[in-house]
Formats: sequence, C-alpha cells, structure tokens
Amino acid sequence: MNRSSIQFKVLAILVVCLALGVVCVIGLMHYFTVQNSQALAVDSIISSQKIFTILETREISKMTAVSDALIMNPEIRDALAAKDRTRLLSLTAPLFPQLKSEGITNWMFHTPEPDMAVFLRLHSPAKFGDHLNRSLDKEVAQTHAIVTGNELARAGFAERVLRPISDAQGKVIGYVEFGEELGQFIQTMKNQTGNDYELLLNKKFVDRQFWADSSTNLKRRDDWDDNSNFVVAARTTSNDKILRFTGDLAAVPEQGMVLEQFHDGDSIFVRGIFPIRDAAGNTAGAMFIVRNISDVYATMRRTQNILLVATVVSLSLGILFLLTLLNRIVFRRLQHIIKVATRVVGGDFESRIKASSDDEVGKLEELFEQFRQIFISILGQVTEMQGK
Amino acid sequence: MSQLYELKVLIEEKIKANHLDAAEIKGQIGLKSGRLLAFINANTPDDPAVVAKLRQAIKDVLKVSA
Repeated sequence: MNRSSIQFKVLAILVVCLALGVVCVIGLMHYFTVQNSQALAVDSIISSQKIFTILETREISKMTAVSDALIMNPEIRDALAAKDRTRLLSLTAPLFPQLKSEGITNWMFHTPEPDMAVFLRLHSPAKFGDHLNRSLDKEVAQTHAIVTGNELARAGFAERVLRPISDAQGKVIGYVEFGEELGQFIQTMKNQTGNDYELLLNKKFVDRQFWADSSTNLKRRDDWDDNSNFVVAARTTSNDKILRFTGDLAAVPEQGMVLEQFHDGDSIFVRGIFPIRDAAGNTAGAMFIVRNISDVYATMRRTQNILLVATVVSLSLGILFLLTLLNRIVFRRLQHIIKVATRVVGGDFESRIKASSDDEVGKLEELFEQFRQIFISILGQVTEMQGK
Repeated sequence: MSQLYELKVLIEEKIKANHLDAAEIKGQIGLKSGRLLAFINANTPDDPAVVAKLRQAIKDVLKVSA
C-alpha cells in the first residue's frame, strides 16, 4: 500500500484510534479497579462497624439481663448492704464460671458514693478497695440508673454495664458491674466477615506498669515501645505484614477511614480503621481492619482482560469493516477513474466510466466521463488540424 | 528526427518487446511527463525541458534509462 494514499492514511488513523481505544479501556479498567478496591475497603469498615455495634448491643443486653436477675436476689443484696465481702463472694463465685463461659470477663461490686471503691472483684477477688474514678462511675453515681459504655481501665478495654443496687427502702447500697473485654469481639467479627482485626488501645489511657504486668501475665510480648500512641490489645492473626498501622488514633475520623491497598505475596489486601469511643467520648481505641480482596481482585482482572480482548477484537472488526466499506464505495471507484484516465491519455479512447451511484464519487465519475468525451473531441480536432 | 520522437519509438519498442499494455504504459508516461505521446511525431521540435521530463517518466515507468 502506497504511504501517500488515502487508504494508508485512513488505516493509520484507525490503528491509532484502536490503540487509543485500548489505552482508554485499560485506563478505565484501572480506574474502576481502584474504585472497587476503595469501595470494598469502605464496605469492610462499614460492615465491621455495624457488626461491632450489633455485638456491643447484644452483649449489653445480655449483661443488663444478668444484672436484672442479680439484683432480685435478696441474699446478695443483704450481703452487699452488710458489707460482708466473704459472704458476697461465696454467693456469687459459683455463678462466675457460667458467666465467663458467656463472655463476661469482669464482675465487680462497688461501695456507694461518696467512697465508691471496688468492694469485690469476682475476676480477681484478692484485689479490692481501690478507686477507679471512671466516667461510668461518676455517671451512675449521679443518675442512680443503669449506665453502659466502653471503658478503658488501665490495661483493658471493656464494654461495661454498671447499675445501682438498692435496699427495700430504695437507698443505694452499692453497685454491680459486668464487663466484657472488647478483644473478645474480634474473633466473632472475623468469623462473620472473614476479615482480620486488631484492637488498638490509646496509650494515653493505658497505665504503663499495668500494661507491662498484664503482658507478663498473659504471656504477651510487651509492645509498649512499638508505636508512639497505641498498643495492641488483641488481634486475629500474628501476621505483622498485614496488620500494620502506623498512624495516629486521634486522627481517625468517626466514620473510619480507608488506609491503603497492599500486596503480600500473591494476596492483595485493603486496610481500614475505625475509632472506638469510650463512655466519655474519647477515642480510647480503634479497630484496625484488613480485608483480603485477592478473589475479588482476580475476578476484576479477569473481567478486565475479557473486556480488553473484546475491545481489541470489536475495534479490529470495526476497522476491517470500515476499510472494506471505504474500499468498495470510494477507493476502488477512484482507482478505476485513475485507470481509465491513464488509458485515455495513453490513447485508449474506448475506455469509459459509468457513474455507479448518485453519491459524490458517482458525480465525479459522471464529470470525468464528460471530460473524457470533451478531451477525445478536442484531441480529434487537433489531430485533424495537424493533418491539414 | 527529433529526440522526442526517438523516445516515443523507444517506448513503443519496449512495450512490444515486453508485451505490455500500450494504453496503460503510454498513459502513465504521458501523465508523468505532461505530454501526450499521440502528438509526438518525427517533426515535433525538441524542447529540452520536455525531453528531460519524458526521459524521467520513461525511467520511472519502464525502469530503463533513455
């Protein structure tokens, strides 16, 4: 094909269009892949937050129901009113294993205000008499009604229910508190979503010495110095590559945030985080989420490849069809005109052109035929004049 | 005999020798040189510019030097 021909130029333009089309499709697919990854990460955060809220609500309901039953027990009320710690322990200790099996990890009785000290810790009976001074304590003392919320106490972040216990005259004789470590939730969340989780605690609200002691007791590595503003209370995997947050908990917005997408071997993950507020509204912790999107990503890649092949094939077929059409309705007819013109100039006056259509090329054919006839007529006259 | 006519004769000989399409070849040479071969005869006066153009056309179309 002659490089200066229109046919070649049209083909070149169409090939450039094909290349541009492919580049556009690749660009669009990349954009949608990124968007979908982002949407998956956002979805993971939202669904995890919802599950977390559902678990919170469910466990609060459970602890509230347990406390309802407990305060109905006159023996327990009497023992608390009499400040008989031994009797209170003997009455409640048999119940604790069953409550622990239901997830309740903390069970305490408090003396009434103004002292409001820990009277009995079922989960640590030898330790009592300390003042916790938490926002929930202040709130229950003010309202004398059941209060619930998350409270970060020294080394543990727990969801708590705290309610007053009154005697027959309605006087508050103490408080009972149930709590569940939030770290327990993450395994349930993992079972429901398939994501991996890490519960982070804001170091501002954690006692350094207590964290060191609890790390020793729980045979957990003391990670106090790993990060400047948080420690890890619980996690669903020991893979440090996928569970890695380096930001500032205070900067995490209420609705959570998507952190990034990353690769670990052949797997692709997205990370996100949402804050966990304590009863006073402080960002006492956060839930770090890692979702494996390898399967979704592979599906998107497959779709991308199929779309790419479909685009190339359809554009190639379109180009082929267009070239065939142009060849039939333009180029072949123009070549015929050129051929006849050449032959007429070469002396073949019998070559004719018949207008094959009423289109632009057809009009050119018609015009050329008229020119041909005039040319032959003039040629005849000139030849005749030369003969004379 | 003019150079133009000699060139015309050469063209016709080449066409005959190679069994080429006379109208096609003459037409191509005529269009390239800007001169109708039908109007060239033994008495046609030489014009150096036209002779040069015709030689070049012969070279381009028949791939021979004239």
